[in-house]
Order: sequence, then structure tokens, then C-alpha cells
Amino acid sequence: MITLQNIEKYYAAKGLKSYILRHVTTTINQGEFVSIMGPSGAGKSTLLNILGMLEEPTYGTYEFMGEDVTSMNERKRIELYRNHIGFVFQAYHLIDEMTVAENIEAPLLYKKIGSSERKSRVADMLDRFNIVGKKDLFPNQLSGGQQQLVGIARALAAQPSIILADEPTGNLQSAQALQIMDLFKKLNEEENITVIQVTHSELNASYGSRILHLLDGVIKEDVSVLS
Amino acid sequence: MFKLNFIIALRNLWKNKTASLINISGLAIGLASCLLLLLYVSYEWNFDKQAKDAKDIYRVLVKFDGTNGEIRGVGYSTPNTIGPALKETYSSVKAMSRLDDEQPRLIANGRKSFKKTGRFADADILKIFDYHFIAGDQKTALDAPNNVILTASMAKMLFGTTDVLNKSVRFEDKVNLKITGVIEDLPENTSIKLDYLMPWTLFEGMYEWVKRPMWTNNNWSTFVKMAPSSDIESLNHRIKGIIKEHVSDATSSPFLYQFSKLHLYGKFTGGENTGGRIEQLRLFMGLAIGILLIACINFMNMATAKSEKRAKEVGIKKTIGATRGSLISQFLIESLVLTLGSAVMAIVLVEVFLPLFNNLLGIKMGINYANPYLWISLIAIVISTGIIAGSYPAFYLSSFNPLQVLKKRNPGRKFWSVSLRQVLVVVQFSFAVILIISTAVIYKQIQYLKDRPVGYEVNDLVELAQDGQLEGKFELLKQRLLQSGAVSSICQLSGTMSNNNSNFWGLEWPGSTETDRHMVFNQLSTTYDFAKTTGIKVVEGRDFSRQFPSDTAAVMLSQSAVKVMNLVHPIGTIVKYQGNDCTVVGVFEDFIWGAPFEKEEPLIVAFNKYWSGYVTMRPNPAHPMSENLAVMEKIIKDINPAYPVEFKFIDQLYGEKIKSQKILGLLSNVFGGLAIFISCLGLFGLAAYSAEQRTKEIGVRKVLGASLSSLMQLLSLNFLKMVALAIIIAIPVANYVMNNWLKTFVFHTTISWVMIILAALATIAIAMITVSYQAYKAAKANPVDALKYE
Repeated sequence: MITLQNIEKYYAAKGLKSYILRHVTTTINQGEFVSIMGPSGAGKSTLLNILGMLEEPTYGTYEFMGEDVTSMNERKRIELYRNHIGFVFQAYHLIDEMTVAENIEAPLLYKKIGSSERKSRVADMLDRFNIVGKKDLFPNQLSGGQQQLVGIARALAAQPSIILADEPTGNLQSAQALQIMDLFKKLNEEENITVIQVTHSELNASYGSRILHLLDGVIKEDVSVLS
Repeated sequence: MFKLNFIIALRNLWKNKTASLINISGLAIGLASCLLLLLYVSYEWNFDKQAKDAKDIYRVLVKFDGTNGEIRGVGYSTPNTIGPALKETYSSVKAMSRLDDEQPRLIANGRKSFKKTGRFADADILKIFDYHFIAGDQKTALDAPNNVILTASMAKMLFGTTDVLNKSVRFEDKVNLKITGVIEDLPENTSIKLDYLMPWTLFEGMYEWVKRPMWTNNNWSTFVKMAPSSDIESLNHRIKGIIKEHVSDATSSPFLYQFSKLHLYGKFTGGENTGGRIEQLRLFMGLAIGILLIACINFMNMATAKSEKRAKEVGIKKTIGATRGSLISQFLIESLVLTLGSAVMAIVLVEVFLPLFNNLLGIKMGINYANPYLWISLIAIVISTGIIAGSYPAFYLSSFNPLQVLKKRNPGRKFWSVSLRQVLVVVQFSFAVILIISTAVIYKQIQYLKDRPVGYEVNDLVELAQDGQLEGKFELLKQRLLQSGAVSSICQLSGTMSNNNSNFWGLEWPGSTETDRHMVFNQLSTTYDFAKTTGIKVVEGRDFSRQFPSDTAAVMLSQSAVKVMNLVHPIGTIVKYQGNDCTVVGVFEDFIWGAPFEKEEPLIVAFNKYWSGYVTMRPNPAHPMSENLAVMEKIIKDINPAYPVEFKFIDQLYGEKIKSQKILGLLSNVFGGLAIFISCLGLFGLAAYSAEQRTKEIGVRKVLGASLSSLMQLLSLNFLKMVALAIIIAIPVANYVMNNWLKTFVFHTTISWVMIILAALATIAIAMITVSYQAYKAAKANPVDALKYE
């Protein structure tokens, strides 16, 4: 599903290149649950951003579902966002001015999905995450865990084939964190959704099927998790 | 999608109540000012354009040759012979009417009598101006000499109804007229005002001199209606010599000028049109657009200032699949919603302030909501304002890169975006400062004109039209008024003291040459007590006096007349005035008879018992004015019972002369103030935003020990720099513009540096107050609140 070939990312300042990522080459298949780990500054988030097409590599090729992303125009990229990728952020990044239901509905609007279909999908999501009672609340009226649930619900509403999560439990208490990780695992196993997460926590990583260890921009280890 | 965007736009408005209020009200005030000004512009623009064939209506004007072959000036009055001659000779002249001057005349229904504007015109006038007849026949209404047409309000005034056809009214206490037509009241923006209209044949029947054909006596207006698309230029060429053919030494040549253009393009130099009121109108249009622009700039600034907050939303939306186009349309919709709200508020504001505005300008404008053009232009203004105001935020915000935004790198730090905002603020304040300085200059000029010595005692001087019996029984009136003690002095004058009203050429004096004979003098005729009543300063010789019976053939000259005539010893000189030999008995200081900003023409005051028009009186200063006026009214009513007594105060009439300058001053005052207010609203919003944006920085600085004053300085300095830059830009512009304006007056004040410095300081002070409130609030905040979010 994802093929990275010799991805490099550096910033040139005063003639000196400071590398964030070096020679990153890997393949991620449909249905994998990959955790990217490593100390601060290792380039985890950058790698995830490149995977999510929010950032462009300085060098190397990135193929997403057989298509070369690096040479893609913005319109095409947006198509991909809409149809295949769901983002989950550490800081939730819900739209403050929208209610829970509207936040979940927003990506469907951009996908130009019909009104009745939207309604049923939003209702479905609310139901599934047990937040029907909160649908008319605004993000700032929810706890962090609840906000992250909405964030995931929003990512799932568009029925993506892959979820990219940047430290999804970083701001949460441990009980809530477990709940979120369980959810990811369930999605991965039951719906065959590819999940790629950046995390510091060994515990969180243990939910996945594979761990990429990054150090100073280089993949040091690529291990499978035995469940 | 649209619905959701709309709802979110409303939620955003509600959430940032202060900012929204600033935004909407600022824009509403801007729009309202713009609408009011444009309403005024359209009012002036449509002057005299009501007639269906307005473009075919021409007014005959007259060019006067100067002494050296140049065109000395252009007059609006024509002889009574030109109109008939034109109609007879040229088939393209479809209708012709003469019209006498606008002046109040007595009209009565029984004991109900009023002095209203009644005018005489040829029957053809009904073909030229299509007056809307409520009753009567447009074709025949002015055919018989004893007919009269009333306006609806005149009819109501006299009879209480407009159903007055064939009823009779008494005119000037002399003749009975039959009402043969009632027309709708004329629109406010027409230059031919009238309350009732009578046939020219009646005029000729009442006064023999009106009937006498005269080619060089320019007394009447003449209007013609031409066949559509006539060649006016060639016609003008042919009629040029028409007066000189009849009077060999005449200096005047007539030409046709489109009547609907005259109101706006009525200034002539050397016989050619050189603008007119249109200049002022352009100024107002500029002002309208400028104010709207200031309001738009506010709007843009506020929207981009909020960009950091909105940036997150943009970033998230982009990651969940929003295209740039959908974001642009979202921001444009938001801006249009705001503009629409402002437009509604603006219309309310206009409705509320229109009466006040009308009152200030002394006109009557109204909004005609049935007019489709009003709506079209309103919608056009709203949409273009919405798009202009919303475009910058829309394109700027939608260009944010989602990653940068979500990573909390500051997206607003692109160099150009910040500097554009600064440029906009500078533009805004430059405009405001230009307006302040202009207002000050206009005010100073008006003050200067007001303070120019008038040359006579203009205060507490009363005049009254010399109607009916007042002419024949003037001596009796004089005697009774003086006896009563209510009046300390009284004289009769051929015209009002407040405005020059008559001139002539052909004066001869010892040593005058042939070209001197074409020199134009103002003229005024009077009898005794002229100087005593008006208070003009006689510098040589004396006023006319009963002690010298020969004074019945005497004149007095103004100092400038003595100067142009080159008289060394004016007293005793014999001049030939209107064909008679007259002795100069006195020389007086020039007084302002014409416009106070123009050079006074030489004036000759002649003794002439038979040419009178006004009684000018100086009420006795020993008694209260109201008491004097009551006594005077009683005596006058007693002598001249048929006419209502309408006193006019010369100082008020004098004040009317600088009316157009006063309007300009007033408008620039009001709208200049509004421009500054709107600019400050914007500055207030920006300061609030800037303080908010720098909350963290302020928190850190406070933790490090920064004092309140140093923080305030930090927050205000940038804004003050912008305002200072605006002032530096504005001063030379204002100086240039206002110097040009002042040059249009012969007598004008100068722009003083004190004034400019005061304007600059005032602007800085206002800006300072606006900004420092926000700076203070931010600097006082608890640093912990600012820092704990990181």
C-alpha cells in the first residue's frame, strides 16, 4: 500500500544540511498496524507527515497505492485525503466552532456525500462511539478523551483505508489512552484499516503488529510484534 | 455546505462579539456615509433632468465681449427679443419660452394672501417642461392672459384643496386670474422654482416696458426646446451675431447651452465652460469612496488579524479534504453575511440621519424605495464591498499550509502579509489626516470670509420688498416709521443690500475713452439717508442730502470706481450716467455686495426716486428688536394692507453667500470625523489582536521582570509609528489639495503650520488613546494565564 524509497528530509541553513530523515526505505501493507517509535527529535512526526502528504520529502520516492505522491498536484492530493486517509492528532484539532455532530459530518461535506447518507453515517459514528448524547456539544465542553473519540470518529466517517495518528494518546490519562488504543486495534482487526501511529509508549506500541524504531532520522530497527 | 458555513459564520460572529460589533458597525457607518453622500450626489446629478426630453432643452446664455476683444463673461439673462426671433427663424426650435426672475409675489384668495414665487412664462413653457397636470389642460392652460396655473401645495394653501379649477385668485392686488391648471409640486432639485405660473401676455399687459422689444436689456431667462438631435454647434454659430445685427454697438452674443448641464457645469471662463458644481460633486464622490474604502480596510485588517485563530480551522479542514476553492468561498460567504448585516444597519442609519442631513444642507432628499436603480446599486455596492473586503482574508487564509498551522508555527509571520496590513493602516490614517487638515482649512477659510469687513453695518439691518402702496407712499411710510421711534433710519434701494443685482456699461466721465465706455459697473439707486441707514463709510464728500436740491441729479462712487475711472478729484466731477449728467457728491469705501471671496466690481450709487424695489431700515437700537418689529409691522400693514409683511435680515442673507462653502465645510467635518472614527475602530481591533497574539511574549517578559510602562510601550510603539508615517504622507497631500482649493478664491486665508501640527497631534493623541487601552489590558494580565497553555 505504501512504499517509501530512500526518503530524505533535510533543512539547509547557512550551507549546512541538518538531516531529519535519512535513507528511509520501507513498505507498509494494507491491514498493518505500525507504530513509529524513537526519542524526541528522531524524525517520527516528520515521517508521519510525509506519509500523510502534509510535508514533502526533499528526496526519494513515495508511492501511495501504486501512485507516485511526490509528483502529485494539490488537487490530486486532496482527493487522496478525502478518500483514503484519516488523521488523528495529539491535540485533537477539532473545529471549535462546530458541534460534535458537525465535526464528524465535515469531511463528508467535502466528499460531497448526499444529505441522507451523511446523516446516517454521522448517526452511525455517534452510536458506535457512544457519544449520541454529546452530539450538540462543542469541543470545549468535552473531556480530552471524549474529544479524541470525536477526532477518531471524524477520521473514520469518511471511511478511510488508512489512519495516521500522531501521538493520539499523548494528552490523555491512561485509562482513556487504553480505550483509544483498544479502539484502534479493533478497527485494524475487524475492518482491516491500516493504522500508523507515532508514539512514545511501549505499551501503545504493543497494540500494533510492527514497530519502526527511528534514531536521528534513520530506521534502526523494524520489528514485528508477536501477539 | 452553504448552510453549515452560514451557521458557522453566525457562530463566529457571536463568539467574538466585540470584534464583530466593531466590524459590522464600522462597515455600517462607512456604508451609511457612502450612501448618504451618493444620495446627495445623485440628487445634484439629477438636477433639471426630470423632463422627458431634458436633453433637448436649452437655455439661451449671453456672452459679453470685453474691452480687448476677449470674452468678459457669460450671463444667464437675455433680452426679451431673442426667444421669439429664434423660434421664428429656425424650424429646429420647437418651443420657446421666456421666464422672469424668481421673486415672491402676492397672490390672494379673498383675505387669504401669500407672497409666493409666481412667475411669468410663454405658453410654450408647458411644451418644454412637462409639468404633471392634476387638473386642467396642458395645451391651453396659459393661452389667455388672465389664466394662472397653481402647484398642488399652492392650491391647498389658498383653498385647502386641489379641486380649484376655474376658481379665481387675485394677483398683486391688481388683477383677478382664473385657475386653468393645477400641477404637481415641482421636485426639489429643479432650478426653476415656482408656486404659480402666469402667461407672459399678462406680464406684458401689466407693464409696458416688458412688452417693448429691447435687444440689449438683459432681464429674462429664455428656454428653447430643440428638435431631437439638432446640430446645436452650427446653430450657435449662426445666432452669434443676432443681437449685434439689431444694435450696432452691442457687446453681447447669445448661445444655446444644454439646460440640464447648467447646474453642474455652470462656470464659464472666457466664454468656455470650465466646470462648476461638478467639482464639488467629484470631491464628494471621492469622499464617499474613500470612507467606504477605510471601512473595507478595517474589515480586511480585522479578518486577517483573526487569521491565527482561523488558521487552525483552515489547517484541519484541509486535512479532512477541503479544497482551497471551498475555503475561499467560505470566507467570502462570511464576509458577504457581514456586509449584508452592515447594509441593513446602514439603511437604518441613513433613514435615521437623513432628516438631519437634509436639515444641515437645507435640501429635501428622500429615498425612493420603488426605484429599481436604488436596489441595483445598493446590491452592487454590498456585493462589491463584500468581495473587496473579504477577498484578502479569503485568499490569504486559504493559502495556509495545514502542517505549519497545526504545528503551531506562526503562519502570520510571512513578511508581506504583515506589511500589507501595515500599509492598509497607513493608507487609512493618511486619508483621515488629510480630511482633518482639509476640514481645518475649510473652516479657517469660512471664518476668514465671515470676518472680512463687510463695509457696512450688516447686523440689525432689515429690508422689506417695496410692494404695492409702499412705493407710492414711501415718504409717508418713512415719516411714520421715524415718528414711531421704532426705526432710527430708513432708505429705499433699487435692489437688496445683500447681493449685487444690477450692472451696466456705458458710463462716461471726463477723460473716458471709447473702450472705457464698455467698462462694467455695478449700480444701485437710492434716495436720501443711504449712508446713514446702511452704515457705509463715506470717505470723501457726503451722502445725498435734502439741503442740496441739485442732489436729485447726483451720484456717489465706490473707491474702486474712482480708481478705475482715474479720477484725481472725484467730488464735483460730472459723469454721464444712463444718459443724464450727474455730479459726484461722495466717495465711499467698497463694501461687499457680491461674493465675499471675489473682487468687488466698481459701484455707482445714483439718486433715483423712480427706480426702487426695497425698503431698507435700521431699527432703533434703543428698543428691543421684537418690539421694533411689531411696531414696524403695524405701520406697514396700515399703509399697505394687501401685502403680508415679510422682514428679511441682511446679516442672514449675507450669510447665505458662503452657503456652498459652508456645506463643503460641514460635510468634510461630519465625514472627516466619521473617517477618523472608523479608522480608530480598526486600530482598536488591531491593537486588541496584537495584544492577544503577543500574550505569550508578554507573559514571558513579565516573568522576566518587565514593567507595565515598558510593556505598554512595546505594544503601542508599532501603531504609533504607522500613524506617524501616515501623517508624514498626508501633510504634503493635504497641503497641495487645499492650496489648490484656496486658490479658487480671490480672497483666501493661508494654511498655517500651527494648524497642521495641531491636526497631527490630535491624530496621534486619538490613536494613542485607542491603542493604549488594549496595551494596558494586555500588560496587566496575569502571566500565568498566558504561559500555562504551552
